[in-house]
Amino acid sequence: MGFIEQNEKERKDFVFKWAEYVRTHDDKDWSRQQNVIINSALKSANMTREQFFKMKKETNYVKY
Amino acid sequence: MKFIDKRTIEINRELSDLDRFTIDFINILSKYTDYVIVSGYVAILLGRARASEDIDVIIKKIDFQNFTRLYNELKKNYFYCLNAEKEKTVYSYLKDNLAVRFAKIDTMIPNIEMKWTRNEFDKIALEKTIKVKIQKDLLRISHLELQIAFKEEILKSPKDLDDANHIREVAKDYLDEKLIQKYKEMLHGFY
Repeated sequence: MGFIEQNEKERKDFVFKWAEYVRTHDDKDWSRQQNVIINSALKSANMTREQFFKMKKETNYVKY
Repeated sequence: MKFIDKRTIEINRELSDLDRFTIDFINILSKYTDYVIVSGYVAILLGRARASEDIDVIIKKIDFQNFTRLYNELKKNYFYCLNAEKEKTVYSYLKDNLAVRFAKIDTMIPNIEMKWTRNEFDKIALEKTIKVKIQKDLLRISHLELQIAFKEEILKSPKDLDDANHIREVAKDYLDEKLIQKYKEMLHGFY
């Protein structure tokens, strides 16, 4: 198995392992852990309107 | 997470900043039109370990008068439209089947990507919703079978396939595999 395939398999395995954890644990337990990822990602996100629409390829319908 | 019945899920989760933002917006939107949340946030709400910069929402078509009332209430609650300021322009984008985005003032992320029903599948998503009860709030998400089919059959990016796998695992005892296959066949002929 090549590096890319191995990487994909490990990622997929983790997705199932985490989903199983969510399924079998208390909501407060898994959501507390999930929120660390979500809240930190939102806090570190910092871009201008132009950068955002360019990233989304939606620059043709912005009017300000 | 409790699957109460085919159309109701109860999640006693701690709210993330993304959840609070979504609930704030939906509590206003739901006063004016039917809506359904689709795509990545559905998987995130069900526990997927990732963030997202936007939340995809499909709404039933509304007239300009009703839209203006919605837009004014959003503005009163510190939301703004990223695409344009004048409600006529924002409404014209919706009429042209384009998505418009709303965020809280002085921010870009997270934002709501809102569009109205554009095809048969948007209509199915809007008609067949699941109520997700989170503490005292309620969010309407698309049928999980339709989300899985769309992600596996049409989108197919690693992120979307991971979302589909996550939903398959957390809802494994409740999913209708035949329905997923039926949606896939319908989608295959459509896109």
